[in-house]
Formats: sequence, C-alpha cells, structure tokens
Amino acid sequence: MAYPSESTEQAALAAHAPVRAATAADTAAGTAARLVAAPADAAAASALLGEAARLRLSVLPRGNGTKIDWGAPPRSCDLIIDTAALSGIDHAAGDLVVRAGAGTPFAELRRVLADAGQRLSVDEVVPGSTVGGVVATGVSGPRRMQHGPVRDLVIGMTVLGHDGVAASSGGRVVKNVAGYDLAKVQAGALGTLGLIASVTFRLHPVPPALRVVRAESDDPGAVGAWAAALRRSQVMPTAVELDWPGGGPLSLRVLLEGTGQGVAERADAVAAVLDGAKTEDAVPADWARPPGGPDDTLLEFAVPLAEVLPTAARLHDAGAAAGASVAVKGSAGCGVLYAAVPAGTAPDAVQRLLLLLRDGMAAGSATVRRAHPDLHAAGLEVWGEVPGLALMRAVKSGCDPDHRLSPGRFAGGL
Amino acid sequence: MDHRTDATGRPHDGGLAHVASGEVGTPLPAPGEGDAEGTAHRSFDDLLNDCVHCGFCLPSCPTYVLWGEEMDSPRGRIHLMAQHADEDVLSAAAVQHFDACLGCLACVTSCPSGVRYDSLIETTRARVEREKPRGRGERALRAAIFALFPYRRRLDLMRGPLRAYQRSGLSSLVRRSGVLDRVAPSLATMERVAPPLRTAAPLPERVPARGRRRAVVGMLTGCVQGAFFPQVNNATARVLASEGADVVIPPSQGCCGALSAHAGRAPEAARFARATIETFERAGVDAVVVNSAGCGSTMKQYAQVLAEDGAGAGWRARADALAAATVDLTEFLTGIGPRAERHPLPLRAAYHDACHLSHGQGITAQPRDLLKAIPELDLADLPNADICCGSAGVYNILQPQAARELGGRKAADVASTDARLLVAGNPGCSLQIAAALEREGGSIAVAHTAQVLDASIRGLGPAALLEA
Amino acid sequence: MSQSDTLHALVPDLRAICGDDGVLTDTAQRRTYESDGITYHAELPGVVVLPTTPEQVAGVVRLCAEHGVPFVPRGSGTGLSAGALPRADGVLIVTSRMRRIIEIDIPNERAVVEPGVFNLDVTRAAAPHGYYYAPDPSSQQVCSVGGNIAENSGGAHCLKYGFTVNHVTGLQIVTPQGELVELGGKAADAPGYDLIGAFIGSEGTLGIATRITVRLLRSPQKVRTLLAAFDGMDAGGRAVSAVIGAGVLPAAIEMMDALAIEAAEAAVACRYPEGAGAVLIVELDGPAAEVDSQFEQVTRLCRDEGAFELRSADDPAERTTIWKGRKSAFAAVGRISPAYIVQDGVVPRTALGEVLGRIAALSAESGIRVANVFHAGDGNLHPLVLFDDAEPGAGDRAEAVSAAILDLCIEAGGSITGEHGVGVDKVCHMPDMFGPDDLAAMDRFRRAFDPQGIANPEKLLPTPRLCGERPGARKGVHPLVASGEAELF
Repeated sequence: MAYPSESTEQAALAAHAPVRAATAADTAAGTAARLVAAPADAAAASALLGEAARLRLSVLPRGNGTKIDWGAPPRSCDLIIDTAALSGIDHAAGDLVVRAGAGTPFAELRRVLADAGQRLSVDEVVPGSTVGGVVATGVSGPRRMQHGPVRDLVIGMTVLGHDGVAASSGGRVVKNVAGYDLAKVQAGALGTLGLIASVTFRLHPVPPALRVVRAESDDPGAVGAWAAALRRSQVMPTAVELDWPGGGPLSLRVLLEGTGQGVAERADAVAAVLDGAKTEDAVPADWARPPGGPDDTLLEFAVPLAEVLPTAARLHDAGAAAGASVAVKGSAGCGVLYAAVPAGTAPDAVQRLLLLLRDGMAAGSATVRRAHPDLHAAGLEVWGEVPGLALMRAVKSGCDPDHRLSPGRFAGGL
Repeated sequence: MDHRTDATGRPHDGGLAHVASGEVGTPLPAPGEGDAEGTAHRSFDDLLNDCVHCGFCLPSCPTYVLWGEEMDSPRGRIHLMAQHADEDVLSAAAVQHFDACLGCLACVTSCPSGVRYDSLIETTRARVEREKPRGRGERALRAAIFALFPYRRRLDLMRGPLRAYQRSGLSSLVRRSGVLDRVAPSLATMERVAPPLRTAAPLPERVPARGRRRAVVGMLTGCVQGAFFPQVNNATARVLASEGADVVIPPSQGCCGALSAHAGRAPEAARFARATIETFERAGVDAVVVNSAGCGSTMKQYAQVLAEDGAGAGWRARADALAAATVDLTEFLTGIGPRAERHPLPLRAAYHDACHLSHGQGITAQPRDLLKAIPELDLADLPNADICCGSAGVYNILQPQAARELGGRKAADVASTDARLLVAGNPGCSLQIAAALEREGGSIAVAHTAQVLDASIRGLGPAALLEA
Repeated sequence: MSQSDTLHALVPDLRAICGDDGVLTDTAQRRTYESDGITYHAELPGVVVLPTTPEQVAGVVRLCAEHGVPFVPRGSGTGLSAGALPRADGVLIVTSRMRRIIEIDIPNERAVVEPGVFNLDVTRAAAPHGYYYAPDPSSQQVCSVGGNIAENSGGAHCLKYGFTVNHVTGLQIVTPQGELVELGGKAADAPGYDLIGAFIGSEGTLGIATRITVRLLRSPQKVRTLLAAFDGMDAGGRAVSAVIGAGVLPAAIEMMDALAIEAAEAAVACRYPEGAGAVLIVELDGPAAEVDSQFEQVTRLCRDEGAFELRSADDPAERTTIWKGRKSAFAAVGRISPAYIVQDGVVPRTALGEVLGRIAALSAESGIRVANVFHAGDGNLHPLVLFDDAEPGAGDRAEAVSAAILDLCIEAGGSITGEHGVGVDKVCHMPDMFGPDDLAAMDRFRRAFDPQGIANPEKLLPTPRLCGERPGARKGVHPLVASGEAELF
C-alpha cells in the first residue's frame, strides 16, 4: 500500500476538523507531532479518529497540554487531536452529578460547581488542566485521602475508540453495577486506550468550614509518629499532606472539612497530636501542586501507609548522595508521594536514585511521571516492574489492535 | 404471687396448671415463628417452602463452618429434603448429610424467613430411620446408644466399669466390641469429668421451699444429668428451694425422649414423651423446671414429637399443656426474681450458650443476668458464641471426628477468654469442651449455672467450683 | 467427544488437583448447588470443585482452558442475579473452603483475605483494633468477599463510603487461562491500567479472585441514627432531598413505605410509629462534633417536611432496634405474601418521587402490590413485587410489573441494577441501557481476559441465544442520548 502524502492525509482529515501542521510546541516528552487537528465536537472527533484509522496514523489526544510530557515518550505521533472544543458542562445539581466534556477546563468546572455550592472532590494538581487530562493521567491531589482518587469519582464515561466509535460505560447515577466499569481502565491510561470524550462525575457539597493544622519538624521519625497518631485518631481528616522541600524541615498539613463547630473541635484534637501546631482557615497557595519546578523530573511513589516517612527519608538521603536536593510532597494519608529531582541532574544519577528506591521498597511502586527528553533518551526506566502486564497488553490490543493510540506512552511500551 | 397449690402443698386435681406470664416468664416459643402448635399442624412441604435460599444460615452452621460445602449447610440440607420430597429418592449421600447435622438449631435463630429447620430435620430423620436401613455396624452402635443413654439405672451401672476403662486406657471389657470403643470413650470422658458418686446425696421426692413459698415446681432429673451429674440436680433443687419454691421430684420419671427425637427414633421418643407428660400431670405443679437444655427444648416441642408418631388431638393438647409449663431453670429464676442473698464469687468465668438453650429455647439473657448478679463474678462472653461445641447429644459418639474438630474450636475460644471456670446450662457441652481443652493441654473447671448460683447462695467461695 | 464426556474425563484430573473430597460428582450433592440466591434460575452443575488454595483454583481453570470447558465461580451462593448459575457442561468452582483471614495489618490499615471469607468476618477481625471493613451488603454475615469482588457490592453505607471497588488495593486473580496474577497490594495506585478497578464488578467473567487486600477504616467516633415517620412517601422523599440539599452526607438514608413497614412489623415487631406512610432511617457517623451538629440539622429538616414522630438512637442496642425492621424487610415480605420478586433499579435521586408515583400507578393498574424499600440517598430502589404463586397468571403479571419498573428506571436516566448485578437475570435488559457499540466495547474487554469465552459464559453481556437479535433497536444511538438524558459533547 502506498503511503499517502502529507497533503492527502491533511485533506482527508480536514473534512472532519481544522488541521494544521505541527509546530515545535507540539511535542510530547520529546516526540514531535506531524499534524494537529481540533475537532469541533465529539461527533467530529469520532469521524476524525475514523479517518486516522483508515490512514493508519498514530494519534495522541491532548487537552491543554499541561501533562503531555507525562509518561514515556510516544513512539510516534502523526496526529495530535486537540480536545479543547469537546467542552460543555451538564450539571444535575439535585443529583450531585455532573457531566463534562473532556476539553472543559478543570478550573471552569470547579467554578460552575462552586456556584451551586458543590464540588468535584479532586484538587487541581496542575493548573490549566482539562477534565480529560485530569482523568487520562489519573492525577489526584490531597483530598483523595477522603474521597478517593479521581477514578473513584467517575461514574460514567464516553470514549472514542481507535476507530472513532463512541462507547459508553457506567451512567448518570452513582450506584450502578450494570456492565464493566471501563472508565476504570481509561482513567490513568494516558490516552492509550481511546480518546475520552466526556466524563460523568459524582459530586459533593462544599463543606461549610475548613481548617488546616500544620506542624514542622526536622525529624522524619517524629513526623511519621504524627501520621500514625492521626490514623489512630478519629478526626477523619480530608487530607494529610507531607511537604519536604529540598533543604529545610518537613511539614505535615492536616486538612479538616465539615461544620464550623466540628472543624474547630477537630482542629484542636489534631493540634494536640502534632508538636507546635499552627491552625489556619484556608489551604496554602501551593496546596496540591506537585513539588519542584516544571522542568524537574517528577517521580511518584505509592507505598503502604507505614512506609511513607521511611520512603521520604530514603529519597532525601539518596538525593543527598547524588548531590541533588530532592523535594518530596504528597499524601501521607494514602501513601502516594511525588518527588522532584532538580532539572539538570545527570541522567545516570536520576536512574541510580530510582533503582535504589525501587530496590529498597518491600511493597508499592515507583514510577516516573514526567522527565526531560534527555533522560528518556538516556534510557530512564519509567515504569519499573508492572505486574499483570500480559493482561494489560491484551486489553490494549483489544482496544487498539494496531497500537496507534499514544503508542509507547504507557507501561510495557503500550 | 398467685399460689396454685393450697397451703398444705397438696397437688391440685386435674393435672398441670398453666403458669401465668410475668410470674416465671412465659415459656418462650422457639425463635422465629414461635408456634410449635402451628408447626406441628403444617405439612412438611409447606414448611420446606418457607426457605427462600438466602443462605443466612450458612455461617451459623457448625458443619458448614467445618467443611464449607453446601450439602452440609442448613440450606443444602433443606434442598436435599426437597429433592427427597419431590422425587421420593433418598440417596446415601443425602442420608450422610442429614446424619452430619448436629441439630444445634443455630440456623433457626439466624433465619430471617422463619424456616422451622428444627421441625424439618426431625421429620427427615424419622423418615431416614423408616426408609433407609443402616449398615450392621451403625445399627449396632445406635442400638447400644439408645439401649443405654435414656435409662438412668443402666447408666448408673456403667459407672464402675467405666472407671476401670479409664484407668486401663482400653479395658478388656470394651476391647472386644467395636461399638463400645466408640461409646466408651465418650462415657469415660463423662466419668473423668464427673465427680465421684459419693458427693451427691440422693434427692428426696420433695424439697420444701425455704421461707415463704412462692411456687410449687416439678423438676426433671434427666438421664445423663441424673447419672453423671447428680450434684447439678442437687444444686438445682437447693437453689429453687432457696428462692422459695417447693420442688417436686417424681421418682417415677424417666427419659424425656430428647435423644431419641433428635435421632429420628419417633416411636421411642413419643413413648418417652407420653410417660413424662403423665408423670408431671400427676405431680400437680405450677411449672416443670428443667436444668438440661436439650430436655427442655424437646419438652417445649412435645406436640411435634407426638405428631411425628401420629398422635391424636387429645395427646397433642396434653403435650401443649406440658410444653407451656416447661421452663428452664434460669428462665424460672429470672421470672420470680431473686430472694436469697448472693455471696461474692471472685473469679473469671466464661458462659457458654448451650444450643438447645439459646437456639432451641431463645434463652440467652436469663443465665447471664443471673450470673452477673453474683457479686465479684467476672463474666466473659465467648467469641463465636453461636457455634455449637460439637457435643450435641450423642453426636460426639456418632460423628466423632466432626465433634472433635468443633470441640477444638470451642476450646480455643474458651482459652482466649482467660476464664478459670466454664459455665453452661447443659452437661454435655461442659464435658465436650473440658475434654477438648485437655487434648490441647489446657484445663478448665466446669460448672452448671445451677452450681454457680448454689455456691453463691451458700457462700461457698470459688474453691468449691474450681476444685469440685 | 460430547461435552459431558469431556467433563467426565476431567474428573480424575480434578481429583488430583483438589483431592477426592474437593470434587463432587454425586447428583444429589451437585443439585444443592443448582442455584444461588434466586432459585428460579437453576441448572445442575456438571462438576463441583471445592479448592482450598489459589494454586488449586489455577490448576482447575488451566484444565478447563486446555479442554475448552466453561467454569463458573461461586462464593457463598447469595447472589440475586443468578451470577453463579452453574453450567451443565461446566465446572462450578466454589471458594467456600478458602476462608482464611491471612493478615490484619493495622499500621498499614489493610486486611488480606481469601475469597471465601464472610464479609462480616473481616470487620469482626478488625474490630478489636478499632477498625472495620466498610462495604456492608445486607447479606454481609454470609456473603463472601470474593463474591463482593464479583458484584462490586455496596450496602446501606455506600452512600458515604463507596463500594467494594473503592476499598480494594490488591488482588491475586486466576485468569481464564489459569494463570495466577498479582495486581496491586497494600499500596494504592498499582502501576499500569487499573485492572483491579475493572475486575471488580465483572461477575466472574474475567477470572477468579483468590486473594484480596482491602482497606480497613478507623471506626467512627460517633454514630447516631434517626428514625423519622411521615404520612406518606412524598413527604419522606422531600425530606431526603432537603437533607442532601443541605449539604449533609449521611452514612445511610433508607426509606420504607407502608406495605414494607407492615411486613417488617409482622416479621420482627420493629414497632415503627403507628400510621406511618413512610419511614426514613438516617444514620450519621464521624467525629462527635460533626455528627451532633448534623444530627440536629437533619432532625429539623425532617420535622420541617412533616415528620410526625422522630426517634434517635445513640447506642448500638438502640440502633439495632431501628435497623431491625429495615434489615429484615426482604425476608419479611414473605410474611405478607406467598411469593415476591425483589427488584433492584436505580434512578437519579431527583426522580425518586416521580418514579415512585409511577410504580404506584403500575401497581394499581395491574392489581399487583408493590412494597418499596430503598436506599434513598442514592436512588437505589428495591421494589418488592408481591403475588400469589397459587393464582394462575399472577406470576406473569408480577414479572411484567417488575420489568416495567426497570423500564421506568432507564427512562429516568438510571440503571437496571444498583447492587445485585446483571448475571443471567438481567442480561437481556442490558441492551435497554447500553447501545450495541457500548456492549461491543465491553465484549472486547472481556475477550482480552478470556479469548476462549469460558469464564462464566452468557452472564453479564447479552447473547443472541439468550436474548435474541434486536435488529435496529436503538442502533447507533445511546439509550441515554435517545432519552434526552445525555448529549454527546
């Protein structure tokens, strides 16, 4: 079969959506795209995907591009599908559910819901994210301790398959066990199983009051003891966040949400557990943000609860040994930490640090969320060991038989 | 207080008087549905239909706990009964699963639909006995059991040789007979745990109330209880008298028929039931106090026992009258309320729910209330209290392996409480658990609720129970 | 070889794997496994096996895969959608002998259990440490954790605490090819696709869970339960909306109508207020200060909506008294009706009032009584359709009413099942809720796990054999879109 020329391709795609040649900005973890299309709605996106399938193009869905460098670099990227126009918010306030298009800015969704006294209980970890981007990366902030990661709040999803065919699972009610919950595998799949067109979430009322109780210490052991004491307590925090910037003390921030009287009493109970606690009535500005700067290598560690502080301490020590000041931040309450290794750290030093941490972990996982293309080029092991990979490969092949959707971005080269 | 006897204590004419509720506590219907009468008159198929197959009975069933298979759960057995009812085929496998049922009735308590499994299994067992000839060995074993246990005097005669059996491990007396090999260890256990005969004086026909009389009650002495635990009967009589009851102990009484009824030996059970009814009708008492859970449970279901044997309405009415008058000792005592002073018994004790008390009669609070009212007695509840200990009448003889495993589980639960004394309302349970604890290398003193109350009322102190 | 010959030939191998007492071939014994919690679907299993280890399960499944023999997993057999309906040509794999609680790990707030462990036993094992396992289906005393995995079980308290899927961090599964695969563990966020999330609720069609790691939650500091009696369902429904609208998230909100109350009264003498046309049970739990202030608020809202009697329970004994009627309701209906169908559908909470009204109309038209018991907080209806099976045609009319109620749920934008699952019972209703493309996507997912189609076949997804072809039926248009409930952005 003859390879279609670029202009023939572009013309065929343009029948469904405006298409342009990619620029230097249209890359993903160092992989440059050829074309960028911006369908006007889900139907157009569906047709576009169908066309891309006929043309055998590799496709990368992209929202606002804030996390397009996350994961491994795609092997190829013929076409970026920009989901910006797949937006819209259908809020059923009385039912505490909302359906939002993938391209809807996450901040806009939060604003609309807030106006109705409700919220999607997922923090915006990376500013500027779209709804689709949050779900496709599965990135969940501090409040996941109380409300679960973002995939737990998804109750329905419509996904455009590799051939553009739309398929829905779940529905518009929270309690629903009809059929497979395919949204679970889409959440966090980095666009390797389909293009998320719209997502339905369950919502929560905005609690009337909140407090943040904060304390600092230089001793990870002491902070670990605080975290353990909080687990034993019955104050039910919404979040327990660890923050350990490179250099400086560790801090633990406990978020309490509820009624005015309730949070006041609970804050006192938390303050009694922490040493030198200070109480504030707003979350700090850097709340939910990943540690470090935008060019740092961002790692994620998921560990059993009792291993959170030992893991943080090992990271800190390993960083020091590599001459890098590693910043650690994340949920001590559910055992998910992010670590930032400063940009410019030698690739082999980053790799050594990662392997050292992986070797020292009895349970859990250490993955690279985002790395500079140079690190990928140097062979950074993004995923580590992934149990169940054979099943995942089968799932991928079932959803995307030609491996054209964000190929290689996911674990095991999927 | 309504006295139903005259000042001389002369019995009324005309048989049993009903006990008004609130005085000694209304005899409780079995848990769930509640009317033994209704059950006795409903057809087997109708009773089967009550089961909706929800499975709530599974965790309560000791054999399901042991083996985790449907056929050895109440739901599975009911299914097997339905297969039998529908197709009139009784497979060997089905019989094996019916036989494995302990008849503990925990499933009756746990059933949200009120299925009368107690009634279903008794009917089924009677059918099995009628329709399914057993092998020679099993026949001989059952014959030996039922020629021995229901007969107090025969049990008495066994006690000497059993001591010999116990001393020699396996005496020449029993070595010749495989049947005795199975019966004897169980009896020998009783012999080991039961105190020497000399400690118990024979009971008179009547023990007068101490102080002002509040009631006249009959007392069932039971076969195993009477032969091996006469001191429990003595304690029962003393406690009743101390609380103001005249205790009538008809010397002519025999076995109540419980063991036979639970084994499907319907005609034999009915014969015993009729005799017991007649005995207590003649005694002229307000209530018939029973201190053995299995006996009380069966006596409260006498109408069903007689119906199983095809008895007519007349007998069933007399059965109902006796059933209504039958009360467990603890039920009676909480009903009339305490009068005798309780002296301290500083010790930690664990209370074990005998199945035929808790599931068979719905009695769980009364014994605990009585025990907790004893100063300084620290009463522990057992984990998995609903699960049978494996004693279950003669089950430990017929299904020794299952009984042993269940005994082991219960022993572990008892050991977890750190109690020094195990209290139960049924002699078989205490024996079974004590024997299981011994196998595990532990030991615990056992006592009947009556003995604990007796020791407290008489101010004997813990040693009397721990060293008995 | 015929299918039954194939199966017969496997028996020696099955015995070699599971031991002689772990393989049942006797007809009477196998028949006791012919149905799960609903008896009107029954099928004699070809062979029943009772493995005791994950390796035995894997061995049995591998054998099935080698010979193309279907297998059906079963836990305690309490399911209400015939998800464990056996196959005459297959092996029924029963997990009831795999019931060890392997570990209670308090520092990491996890329990590791085998699939046959009773749900409630996890909480019992954690309770001495001040912890519990949150999912609490009504059958929690007997249903198995493995069964909960298959059905993604919820319970009265899932309004606040979520479903099984929200509480599992690790699974060891046997795939339909007979391989043992470890997914996740004690840590959150296992790397790769969330196969745990998709496996939970897959009704045994993707394999068998053989070891399960669940989250344990710290017991709440305080629990308070309110019983509110109303004249009718309208007022009760308004109270539910008022509570949710006020931003309160109770642990549970349950509602019963007059007929359900009558049944519960007959069964357990729950002594709910006399003359109530509806009762609402609202349970709040959490830190004492929060619970107390919300309790006041809920009480006030119920009174404002016309509650004529309010009772509160602050200790376990009082709570048990209030819950007794609700928990007994299903079985209790047997006391007021010779036969009944338990339906399970979901509607958006705001549609509750309208749908209940239409159910009442259906009931009036058909002369078939319907008792309503439901999880009002999340719109999960459990209409109990009552009939007399001795009356000719009554069963069919009841079935028709029951199916019509599901149609109402779909029409309102809800679901055909909130917790009982699809199984065999509702498999032919799946096309009413999902379009052909949706079902095709699900089928592709299934094939990824089970290319041979031997894992619990003909459950969950409709097949032409079971449901017939539906030419043109809503082809290409999603039913939710067609109903105007959802638009594709």
